[in-house]
Amino acid sequence: MNQFAGIGFRKDFANEFLEKKLLQPSFIEVAPENWMGIGGYWKKIFKQVAEQYPVTLHGLSLSIGSADELDWNFLRQLKSFIKEYNVQVYSEHLSFSKCNNAHLYDLLPIPFRKEAVKHIVQKTKQVQDFLEMPLVLEVVSYYTAIAPEMQEHEFINAIVDESDCRLLLDVNNVYVNGFNHKYDAYEFINKLRLDKVAYIHMAGHEQVSEDLIIDTHGQPIIDPVYDLFDYTIQQLPHTAPVLLERDFNIPEMEEMLFELNKLENICQKHWKHETVSA
Amino acid sequence: MKQSALDIAFDQEKKFADYCRTGNFVRLKGTTPNRLPHYRKLVFNVIDDTLQTAYPLTFGLLTKSEWKELVNDFFGTHNCQSYQVWKMPYELYEYVLNNDLPIKEKYPQLLNLLLFEWMEIEVFMMEDIEAASLKTSGELITDELILNPEHFLLATEYPVHYKKANEITEADKGIYYILIFREPQTGKVIFIELSVLFAWLTEQIKTTGRSVYQLSKEASEVFNIPRQQILENSQSFLNELYNQQFILGFK
Repeated sequence: MNQFAGIGFRKDFANEFLEKKLLQPSFIEVAPENWMGIGGYWKKIFKQVAEQYPVTLHGLSLSIGSADELDWNFLRQLKSFIKEYNVQVYSEHLSFSKCNNAHLYDLLPIPFRKEAVKHIVQKTKQVQDFLEMPLVLEVVSYYTAIAPEMQEHEFINAIVDESDCRLLLDVNNVYVNGFNHKYDAYEFINKLRLDKVAYIHMAGHEQVSEDLIIDTHGQPIIDPVYDLFDYTIQQLPHTAPVLLERDFNIPEMEEMLFELNKLENICQKHWKHETVSA
Repeated sequence: MKQSALDIAFDQEKKFADYCRTGNFVRLKGTTPNRLPHYRKLVFNVIDDTLQTAYPLTFGLLTKSEWKELVNDFFGTHNCQSYQVWKMPYELYEYVLNNDLPIKEKYPQLLNLLLFEWMEIEVFMMEDIEAASLKTSGELITDELILNPEHFLLATEYPVHYKKANEITEADKGIYYILIFREPQTGKVIFIELSVLFAWLTEQIKTTGRSVYQLSKEASEVFNIPRQQILENSQSFLNELYNQQFILGFK
């Protein structure tokens, strides 16, 4: 069983998770929206899988960055789901996915502005108080900023400082953003509140033009992202669970296993005497 | 009136979201040229893919341009309420139900088809419902029956459950009853077409808790069929429902 590296639970590989022939992730991640309030076949399977692995949650619909009020029905259901499966990490995206009372089912960038920070801090505190656990917010990939008046890292750090939330550092997102917005990903990592990182994501992406990468989660992780990951975890003052994300173009199990083992080996290299903390 | 700084941030978000929903040109502050269309494409693809997956028969029935127009209008004008993307397709059914759309005239079977396709998802995914306590042995005709609670009884005007959607015509118009339930062990969704008599009996068993024998007298009067004939026909019908685990046992 891995010590640090986990993987997103996929229905395509449900039996593999149960039989543990190849995969030995240290945890599994799911989007709570896809598993809350369901029954039947997949509920049975999920219960069995959750008995074998710790579960982390990576939400899609909280929309922490929009003007809309929090959806308390959703949060109540989420809290009960967290309790039912003894979830230790609930992460979400530092983005918005709902606007003017309409869900968009995708992650849109928030304007990097001081007033947006205040609003997000207030909502984050409400979520944390209600769930009685820290919210872990992900540094998202984005293809254009919207009406920015501050730097991205200032925006993120201000939210982390003022809300006392935790950070989900998606190393691939930082690489993608560095490429798309022409900044140095290593410098960006150095500017973040690394002591607040509680969770790490790694994924592949697709370059669609000379100056644009789309964060598809549909390709293998490339070496420069592994290099950035290797660098990043050496800067962290503590360990954190690391997730391999793959949502499209799902490869053979052996390829997934190769990537998962590679991540685990990098963690072991730097953290071999540590235990995982989140 | 001067906008507050927070209003500016949210105004930009709203314009951005509206653009992603409609594709209508928008001017936003501080964006990188030519990047906004990627968001419209990504957002629309999620909606389109989810709806195509939920409604493969409807997708096959409509022309490409009709489908695109439907999805575009739905997403552009309807505020999707479900935070679970797998439930969003039901909102398309409601949207078609509640709006005057030319495709409803062209395809009178459309609403039935959408609901039929949605019910398969709903029954497959719905939360578990515990059945009432039961005995495993008893008499199907004379005992009170415990039904599988994870079911719907659907009435349609068109035979969307057995005929290809593009071959259905006005001549097929009638009343069709479809029992849709979830097999307890496998979670598989089963569809059974019921006659009007058996649809009535199923509904009565469920709501009154009376045995088929008790119900047969009233059924005979309602449908003008000899009681003995109803009892004889019911035996094989009930056997099938028992074998398929729609009837789970006896009170």
